Amino acid sequence: MRKRIHRIQALLLTVMLMLMMFSPVGVKAEEEQRFMLDYAGLISQEQSAELETKLDELGQKYEMHFVIVTDDDSGVTSPMEYADDFFDYNGYGAGTDRSGTLLYINLSTRDWWISTRGYGITAFTDAGIQYIGEQITEYLGDGDYYEAFETYVTLCDDFVAQAKTGEPYDVGNMPKEPYPFSGILLISLAAGLIVALIYILVLRGQLKSVAPNESAADYVVKGSLHVTNSREFFLYHTLHRTVRAESSSSGGGGGSSTHRSSSGATHGGGGGKF
Amino acid sequence: MSDLQGYKCPCCGGAIEFNSTAQKMKCPYCDTEFEMETLKAYDDELTSDADTSMDWHTDAIDTFSEDEEGNLGVYVCQSCGGEIVADENTAASICPFCDNPITMKSRLKGELKPEYIIPFKLDKKAAKEKFAQHLTGKKLLPRVFRDQNHIDEIKGMYVPYWLFDSKANAHMRYKATRTRHWSDSKYNYTETNYYAVIREGDLSFRNVPVDGSSKMADDLMESLEPYDFKEAVPFQSAYFAGYFADKYDVDEKQSAQRANERVRNTTEERFMRTVSGYSSVVTDGGSIQLAEGKTTYAMYPVWILNTTWNGERYMFAMNGQTGKFVGNLPVDKGLMKKYFFKMFGIVSAVVFALYTLIWFI
Repeated sequence: MRKRIHRIQALLLTVMLMLMMFSPVGVKAEEEQRFMLDYAGLISQEQSAELETKLDELGQKYEMHFVIVTDDDSGVTSPMEYADDFFDYNGYGAGTDRSGTLLYINLSTRDWWISTRGYGITAFTDAGIQYIGEQITEYLGDGDYYEAFETYVTLCDDFVAQAKTGEPYDVGNMPKEPYPFSGILLISLAAGLIVALIYILVLRGQLKSVAPNESAADYVVKGSLHVTNSREFFLYHTLHRTVRAESSSSGGGGGSSTHRSSSGATHGGGGGKF
Repeated sequence: MSDLQGYKCPCCGGAIEFNSTAQKMKCPYCDTEFEMETLKAYDDELTSDADTSMDWHTDAIDTFSEDEEGNLGVYVCQSCGGEIVADENTAASICPFCDNPITMKSRLKGELKPEYIIPFKLDKKAAKEKFAQHLTGKKLLPRVFRDQNHIDEIKGMYVPYWLFDSKANAHMRYKATRTRHWSDSKYNYTETNYYAVIREGDLSFRNVPVDGSSKMADDLMESLEPYDFKEAVPFQSAYFAGYFADKYDVDEKQSAQRANERVRNTTEERFMRTVSGYSSVVTDGGSIQLAEGKTTYAMYPVWILNTTWNGERYMFAMNGQTGKFVGNLPVDKGLMKKYFFKMFGIVSAVVFALYTLIWFI
């Protein structure tokens, strides 16, 4: 009895596998464009599906494509080129200017890159991309990939919404950090504690008026200080030198810098390590 | 032939053994280079330090004679053992130290007679006012303390003092530095030159007081200072009328130690002040000798008030010449907590509100 069940199960499994092998998955993927491509296997399938839905919805909301690609290919020398090409050659981008952004994460080289095209270039300025990078690398560094991607999706929504107002996030106009309630509370309590302690010490000090008098200055005969011998002699010297700190010049006008990808399209973008 | 001699490195204190035929010496420990003359001169200075000596001598002091003792009596307290001098007309029955009854022991005879006395300048009324002032504006003072009315028990007492005159001869050595900063296109330079600075000289002190009563806490009496000795007059027992007087029970030899400490501190401080024009100065050593030491026995006026609160004794004292009022007061723990949390709450709330306001603007 038991053996038969096993056999049936094995048969079913084989049939399913064969179906999967021969079904035109690749063609299907091109027809139904996917936005969450976790080649490195950083997140679970359920999480992947959830993000897929979110990215899809976000894309429809703004008529743009938001793509996340992960990879662990150690041979990628330029995350910028990889991300640009991935975007261009897989037909991403909505509308005639093919608007969209692509977040590329390479686990081997620990690179992250955000490639932008079309309206994405407008919405995601260089400074903006670095800001997003700061927010997500906190999670990426700890291996919390799902949280990193969720944050990315939320920030994309925020950034495009801000760009629609005509003033995209840029140098001097960065998104406000969330109100750090516990931090401010802690600072306030610490300040209160310190001030209260000083106050109490002052009040206690008022009650003390007795202290030994170590000086006899009140009893010095006026003008009785005679210095009969006053001299100095040189002992030795030391010389220290330190390298002068070079003044660093920093530019920073803001805006988005662009470059041309291998397909000839104009892209913006930025990235870093995590 | 070269003679070997040990020197002490002025930089690190390590032993430098050196060959007198060489021109410059290097400390094996800290690699500092010295001129030979420098080391010799520095060594001479080190060996010239003498031990500090502080000797006092007391002039022959009179004792009370038959006719002077008049109606002065010595009273003894059965509780704390304190001996008080008071004239018999003072209806003295309560010990000024511990508020217990005192009894007359003997007539004052053959006791050491003070040379000088600073008479009371401020009366009991002034003392009471000062006490009230002393209590005002002190938030942590227990409320009960303010209400209890024992101010009437404030007593005038002549406290025995040993006064020390002396001339301090100082030979001080300091280590001083001068620092120079400059830069070229590549580096910032800091050059520090070290010097041995010598100061010799003397400083005179007149009437450094040390109280000779073990009943009066030394720090309390020192807090009452200064007294102006210009108003002192030759002693007459008539000044005791209406007041208590304490007899010395700490002799001048013991008291001299305290005077020495204070004279030494001030001498060091005054000579240090003459070393100017350097980036830093630290005392490296030296010696102070006291000469022309002279001790005088005198009586200084003090208003004292004793209070017991929560089983602890508090003694307050007022300088009977200048009106300076001192005495530690107890802390009300309840009030302290109340003020602490009040301030803690207010400041925390204000800082929190300001931060939040700035955040959202």
